[in-house]
Amino acid sequence: MASHAGALKSFGQKLALLLMVRSAVAWMTVWFFLWGVVVLAVRVSGLLKGHGLALGLLGCIPLALIAAWREWRRREAVTKIRAAYDNLNQCGGVIMAQEAADMAEWQSALPVPAAPILRWRSGRALGLLGISGVFAATILLLPDRLTTLGTPHTLEIGKLVGELKTEVETLKDEKILEDKKADETQKQLSQLEKNSSGLDPSKTWEALDHIKESDSDLAKQAAEEAVNKMTSLAAAQALASAMNQAADDGMSQDTATHAAQDLANMLTAAKLEDGLLKGDVPKELLAQLNGLKLDGLNKEQLQKLLNAIQFNKSNLGRSMTNLAHLRLIDPKYLSQCHNAGQCTNCNALAAFLSTCTNAGSCNLASLCYGRGGPGGGGGTGPMTWQNESSEDSLKFEEHALPPSANLSDAQFVGVSQSAPELSGNDVSAEHGALANAQGSGGSANSQVILPQHRQAIQRFFKRDTQ
Amino acid sequence: MADTILKPEELQPAAELAGKTLEQLDRVLLGRKELHRLVLIGILSKGHVLFEGLPGLGKTALVRTIGQILKLDFKRIQFTPDLMPGDILGTHILQQTDSGKREMVFQPGPVFTNILLADEINRASPKTQSALLETMQENSVTLLGTTRQLPLPFFVLASQNPIELEGTYPLPEAQLDRFLFRLLFDNASTEVLDQIISERRRGELPMPTWQMERAQLESLFQVMNRIYLPRPVSRYIARLVSATHPGSAEASEAVTRYVSYGASPRAAIAIAEAARAHALVSGRPTVGFEDVKVVAEPVLNHRLLLNYQARFDRMSPSRLVQQLLAQMDETGLKLPGDVELQSA
Repeated sequence: MASHAGALKSFGQKLALLLMVRSAVAWMTVWFFLWGVVVLAVRVSGLLKGHGLALGLLGCIPLALIAAWREWRRREAVTKIRAAYDNLNQCGGVIMAQEAADMAEWQSALPVPAAPILRWRSGRALGLLGISGVFAATILLLPDRLTTLGTPHTLEIGKLVGELKTEVETLKDEKILEDKKADETQKQLSQLEKNSSGLDPSKTWEALDHIKESDSDLAKQAAEEAVNKMTSLAAAQALASAMNQAADDGMSQDTATHAAQDLANMLTAAKLEDGLLKGDVPKELLAQLNGLKLDGLNKEQLQKLLNAIQFNKSNLGRSMTNLAHLRLIDPKYLSQCHNAGQCTNCNALAAFLSTCTNAGSCNLASLCYGRGGPGGGGGTGPMTWQNESSEDSLKFEEHALPPSANLSDAQFVGVSQSAPELSGNDVSAEHGALANAQGSGGSANSQVILPQHRQAIQRFFKRDTQ
Repeated sequence: MADTILKPEELQPAAELAGKTLEQLDRVLLGRKELHRLVLIGILSKGHVLFEGLPGLGKTALVRTIGQILKLDFKRIQFTPDLMPGDILGTHILQQTDSGKREMVFQPGPVFTNILLADEINRASPKTQSALLETMQENSVTLLGTTRQLPLPFFVLASQNPIELEGTYPLPEAQLDRFLFRLLFDNASTEVLDQIISERRRGELPMPTWQMERAQLESLFQVMNRIYLPRPVSRYIARLVSATHPGSAEASEAVTRYVSYGASPRAAIAIAEAARAHALVSGRPTVGFEDVKVVAEPVLNHRLLLNYQARFDRMSPSRLVQQLLAQMDETGLKLPGDVELQSA
């Protein structure tokens, strides 16, 4: 049979253990919450990564032990536990008196020994422990993309930077962009790709847009220059071809001289050595053209000149094709470039050169162009007047309005904005905007004739008499 | 004190005596077992008891029966507004001796008895009421410089009518504090009334069939001195009395709200003594928490001074004490709120 001493001891131990467990649970709950917050802060700020932070959860074990130890130290005095046991078992103070005296003789008068029941309403405490544990675990297992808000995300601009680098490289290869400037731009692009931040993308986009715009402007400038040069080169090529052809057909010396002069002027005006897309013509050939040394510019040299011109044209065409391929220029520039300065009737020019006796009086280059007539181009083209156009539906058709009463007897009711309809000579206007106009008052929407309309009205009524 | 804890064979006779006394009381006066128990406790505690009840509930009969059972001298004073202190304590009168001399001779008043029943004590004037102050505290009477001891044991069993308050003088707090208990007389139940009517003609009380000798009564008092009061219980009594003071650490919200003045240290002493007596009557050598809970209400219910708010809210001292007993943890274990202790 159990004794009160045993039951008392068991009660004391159970009470101490329960309070220690309770305290440990409370401290563990606090620890999980705190650790979860710390981990969240560390992960968001990007200071630390990885699941090594989970080891911090093990800190709850020593903390629980400390809490239990503290609770053990603060446990209630034996006197109070004895008093509680005595009270709950209704021993009438006998158990309490055992502390001071031997109460063995009274044991038989006591109730049956039974340790009081300890009940811990642990639902809330354990619930909080569970919540804190789930919170800590969730924070640890969150993907990095959800937690690294503080770390700067780099922008995904690799493709765009690659395109721009290709553009810059192309412009550099075509000598449109200086090497030094191109290298600087390449470096800038590399740096942008490396340092771009998701926190402030506007600066990155602004820089990229600036580079793109610069490239486009350069390319456009080059394209316009190429078109101009192509025009000049095409004209020079046409003239040179015609000269080559006319030389076989007996072109006079004078004509040849003037033609050579014009050719030289065209080549000079092309300014091949200037601008972004540089080209050149063999200087000795150009000098010969300028020096009017006809005998020095033989067929072979003329052919050489033609080859040089074609070479420059090819270069220009190739450059434009490369720029158009990268969409740096509008494709219309490409077609303009290909079609620039095309001579429509080089044979006629050659024939003219071979038969012309006063070539100095006309601009030979312009002879390459135009057939006259409306739409045929060229200022010296013959004017022809044929196929006159019909005037039907071109002239304003006049319609006579029916006569009205004397203006002095008329009562102003409003100004119509639509054309009055005819319904007979002796019938006053019944339709139109004035249909509902009344003498006095009338519609609120009636039009008002202002003094500024007086002359228009007078002209209207006087037109018939004229 | 611990060395003198009663053995079972020492306590047994005393418990039996107390049991017999209660048995006799219950036989003579029907339907008030708890009241009889408390009256006996009051006697064993050597305290004075104040009865409160309507007329005809048997207050005088109880006191007379107690006197008969305990073989104690009993006197009754009907307090009236014209009662003078000399009517209670005694007075000096001029008498002629046998030798023919005239001298002032003290004539003892009715107070010189073992049990004084002061009927309707609140009818007498404060001057007359205060005449009992010294007798209740000191068990003596001092008149004209001469102190005369009252016979021992001396008990004042007073009564007062809770209605008919016109023309009455409420007892001062100083005098109320000298009463160990204030016991309330309830109306008898229907069964008790039926039994009284059917068994007793004209309500005449039967004579006790057993009486306690003076020596036996003294032995009871001796045993009382050896009832052990454990330290946790005395601590509980002290906490309980302290909690009746508004603003104390353990005072409840109701105490703070309704009490103007709490119980005095005399109340703590009274609770301790009464708890000992209860333990004796229950046949235990030690005082337990349950003993304190039984006697706390009659000890404290006339020692708390309530404010007007209590009147408005109809809060009585008895209810206040009951609330205090229910709320206060006896052992002072200070368990967390989510941990409960229950008996097996």
